[in-house]
Amino acid sequence: MWKITNYILRDLSKSWIIIGYVLLLFVASWGVFSIENEPDKAILNLLQILLLLLPLFTLVFTTIYYYNSLEFILLLLAQPIDRKKIYRGFAMGLMGTLSLCLLLGMGIPIMIHFPSNQGMMLLLCGLLLTTTFVAIALFLSSRLSDKAKGMGAVLLLWSFFAFLFDGMLLLFMYQFGAYPIESAVLAISFLNPIVIARTSVLMTTEAAAMLGLSGAVFKDFFGSTLGFTVSLLAFIGYTTLFYSLSWKNFKKKDM
Amino acid sequence: MITINNISKSYPKQKALDSVSLEFLSGQSIALIGPNGSGKTTLIKIILSLVKPDEGDITVLGQDISTSGVYRKDIGYMPQITRFPENMTVRQLFRLVKDLRADISSTSYDLDLYSAYNIESMNAKPLYALSGGMKQKVSAALAFLFDPDILILDEPTAALDPISNERLKEKIRTSYEKEKLVLITSHILSDLDEIVNHVVYLMEGKIAFHKSIEQLRLETDETRLNKIIVTLLQQMEHHVENH
Repeated sequence: MWKITNYILRDLSKSWIIIGYVLLLFVASWGVFSIENEPDKAILNLLQILLLLLPLFTLVFTTIYYYNSLEFILLLLAQPIDRKKIYRGFAMGLMGTLSLCLLLGMGIPIMIHFPSNQGMMLLLCGLLLTTTFVAIALFLSSRLSDKAKGMGAVLLLWSFFAFLFDGMLLLFMYQFGAYPIESAVLAISFLNPIVIARTSVLMTTEAAAMLGLSGAVFKDFFGSTLGFTVSLLAFIGYTTLFYSLSWKNFKKKDM
Repeated sequence: MITINNISKSYPKQKALDSVSLEFLSGQSIALIGPNGSGKTTLIKIILSLVKPDEGDITVLGQDISTSGVYRKDIGYMPQITRFPENMTVRQLFRLVKDLRADISSTSYDLDLYSAYNIESMNAKPLYALSGGMKQKVSAALAFLFDPDILILDEPTAALDPISNERLKEKIRTSYEKEKLVLITSHILSDLDEIVNHVVYLMEGKIAFHKSIEQLRLETDETRLNKIIVTLLQQMEHHVENH
């Protein structure tokens, strides 16, 4: 299994798209730190970039790479290695490479300019978002054998997580603003990994003070060890869930 | 060496295989032929567990293939179309496959085709830069590399030039003479003439016949494989019409 992971890593490290992704992250992070005087604000700007760029790139790249690798996976499947090991090696390779990209592209600037709790939280959330979205993309693409359909589903899902979810949540909050819905909103926000990441990072910065009264519930929760643990478990849960579902698809797949 | 027992497989819109049972023994070289969509590639892929059958079971060298993938150590497979990861070079591909087969020591590699096709000279080439024929050469060299007891070749000669084609045929001949089992699908019947001793004809997912070449020659009074098949198909048509 590690051999396959290793080869995927090496194959991907030569891909110009991956190199471009690292450079983009690096330039954006370095740029934000040079423009912004207050590192706390810089972290918030980086958070915005990360939340927009990372899920989209991870989903699209994983999907394309999966479909392009099918013939190669076929070659591996003809070897005396169990399907499960090949699949696990493949998924680990993707998760590992994309995590490494983040550590190189965003981790280095953060470590140089602002090695702090906030920075660590941002990186941690970035890594967890990476594994979660790789798993989600693998789930969709192993389910749909048509490349165009797979890509369509992935983009639709991304727009849901990135825009539609927030819109729907706001609508919900306006409609039921008169009721004590903070706990409900808290629970709902756990349905979207992007929101979990955003809130977790936000809570470590001073911007948390500006959340107002209803933000107090969030601050109490996400600011606590319990909140951190629950967020972490949610990410791990999503990754495991979608990875297992994708393996279930792949296991019975006719190559 | 391979026992296929009542295998059925349906795809959403068609039945690919319908209760197929076959027995292949060592020293046999089997031509798996039939019209397009008759289930040849599906059958091969089921033997390799690339496709899961709806019903039935298969044993390879006494081992039930649904239990583990280890049985594939005795099988060399050359797929119909091969697409490799773009950024890998030929050398890296061979290194990867050898690495995955750490159970085989480098002294027991079968490098006949590897050197006959001069793969060494393509070593530094990235895989995306290879032509269809070169890819097929790489694929063939890989299939024979670990000197497996069973060889499964899916349309092996489609893109090969005449000389490479002859080299592959020579290799196939020596393989079954060494009591290996060779399973070949091809549309080019003239290519199969000197390299098979059994024929399985599939039609709409069922076995039309499974006979040795000698038997077929006796039955049809023909020597060339394509003539034999045409004669048999005509006989079968008459048979259907008479009923």
